[in-house]
Amino acid sequence: MVNKRFSLRNISLFGVVNTIILTCLAIITVYPVIYITAVSLSATSEVVQGNVTLFPKGFNLDAYAQVLNDDRVPRAYLNTIMYTALGTAINLLLTAVAAYPLARKNFFGRKFFLLAIIITMFLNPGIIPNYLIVSELGLLNSVWALVLPNAIWTFELLILKSFYENMSESLREAAVVDGASEYRILFQIVIPLSKPALASIGLFYFMGHWNSFFIPMIYLNDSVLYPLQVVLRDMLIFSENGSNPSLVDAAALAPQAMKNATIVLSMIPVLLIYPFAQKYFAKGVMLGSEKG
Amino acid sequence: MASAGTEMKPAAPRGGIGGRMVAAFQHMKRDRQLLILFIPCLLFYIIFRYGPLYGLIIAFKDYSVFTGIMESEWVGLKHFEKFFSSPDFWLLFKNTLLLGVYNLIFGFPFPIILAILLNEVRVRWFKRSVQTLSYLPSFLSVVIISSMIIDFLSPNQGIINQFIAALGFEKIYFLGEPSWFRTIYVSSDIWATVGYEAIIYMAAIAGINPSLYEAAKVDGAKRHHMIFRITIPAILPTIIIMFVLKTGSMLRIGYEKVLLLYSPMTYEVADVFSTYVYRKGLMESNYSYGAAVGLFEAVVAMILLLSSNYFSKRLGGSGLW
Repeated sequence: MVNKRFSLRNISLFGVVNTIILTCLAIITVYPVIYITAVSLSATSEVVQGNVTLFPKGFNLDAYAQVLNDDRVPRAYLNTIMYTALGTAINLLLTAVAAYPLARKNFFGRKFFLLAIIITMFLNPGIIPNYLIVSELGLLNSVWALVLPNAIWTFELLILKSFYENMSESLREAAVVDGASEYRILFQIVIPLSKPALASIGLFYFMGHWNSFFIPMIYLNDSVLYPLQVVLRDMLIFSENGSNPSLVDAAALAPQAMKNATIVLSMIPVLLIYPFAQKYFAKGVMLGSEKG
Repeated sequence: MASAGTEMKPAAPRGGIGGRMVAAFQHMKRDRQLLILFIPCLLFYIIFRYGPLYGLIIAFKDYSVFTGIMESEWVGLKHFEKFFSSPDFWLLFKNTLLLGVYNLIFGFPFPIILAILLNEVRVRWFKRSVQTLSYLPSFLSVVIISSMIIDFLSPNQGIINQFIAALGFEKIYFLGEPSWFRTIYVSSDIWATVGYEAIIYMAAIAGINPSLYEAAKVDGAKRHHMIFRITIPAILPTIIIMFVLKTGSMLRIGYEKVLLLYSPMTYEVADVFSTYVYRKGLMESNYSYGAAVGLFEAVVAMILLLSSNYFSKRLGGSGLW
């Protein structure tokens, strides 16, 4: 910009309207999160009267104390951390290993395997056949039911495969000359060089585990095993429509502040990684769309 | 290096099946380390992606937990006949289709508009901040989003109803009224996905040659001219392909959100195939009936997806793979 003069002529009507629209959009996006947080920090009386809009009214941490003293939420929190850590680790390991042979142009049966893998993106047998497999394998009510049936996401596998394919061949060839095995090449050269791609797909896997509720809801019967999202869902459903007489439990009495405190607690890790993760997030979306 | 293998067939020993088997065997031997690395992936796809297809045969049987998949009695199309002749069928069909179509038609333009508006911002920190904030909902779980919807629309203390009351109108029990359900579903979906979906259009816009804009500026073009004459035509191929692909996955309703937001009061508009399978099949243990309904849905969805993929490729797009 050569003549960057600040004058009224540079401020167009379009620019002003555009800025207003985008500011409103940003507010609409963020406001629900702020509101939930404000309610979780407010006195119950203020919440019930509907006085809380932007800032906490009658600031207190009672809801958090209540939630953390009740054993359900802390236990669910630990469950979620455990499932997410184990699940993401398995996802990343299996995807990183599986993508390697598939990325090799003359791998035995490559075309057949790729076709068989891609076909599964179009076949979705539905909730019941998936449930039956998990149940026949005796995985119900265990962490493996959450981890194994989705151990590899086909889309992420294909993304990583094309990332490997675009990697320079020279390092690998040098290693072959040195007599390195495929295992060594994969774990000591290819995987370390794929950190950016692994960070992107790892983020999607992480979010998938941290936020999943339907799968744990149908595969886990024992409430001791519930992750945070399922506990949250119980609080949510039963506090809204107590019309489920057979299912009413202590959660039915959960006041809004307690529920929102649980939401905030479940959002904290996500919101902490979000500023750093969003770079990988956009990259992951783009990797997905460019993959030919 | 590649002395054997499928792409080197002419070099393989001739002599029909026997020769080809020898070649394949040599190829396998050469690739044994790669094959070992591939075993976990292979097992995963066989067990958890193709295994359930085997489980689908219960749609043609009377499955019970006690007899197992194999020993259950064959009943042919009984469950399909029951489903197609029940009034639920048309209701579910209508609900699934309408939610999908409304979501597609109303949801589709927003990411494009957002990407264009963001592109017009000259202040970089503002552009970056708005874009970063717009991804935020993608990081929230469906339970949290549903909880926010319920809170905001609550007839007692929900912000929206307080606003309505302040204006002197009567409060609305949004989630209890069938007429509001689709609006709530679609608008919350737009809120949750607009930033994420704008990423692809932002990238398409970033690929436009800047000299086009400079030339237009020299010719005295206004901003709106440039949007309608340069930006939109340039990203039109992306828009068309996204539309085709979205049409293909239209019937993949976010049933988790429906499950969290609907109630018996709104079943008449909210119940879709997947929620019905969950309720009738899984919760009430009618596994065979649920599998039949799920199979029907899967076939319809697959046809739609395959045809959209076909059109996307014909239009020069990448398709799903």
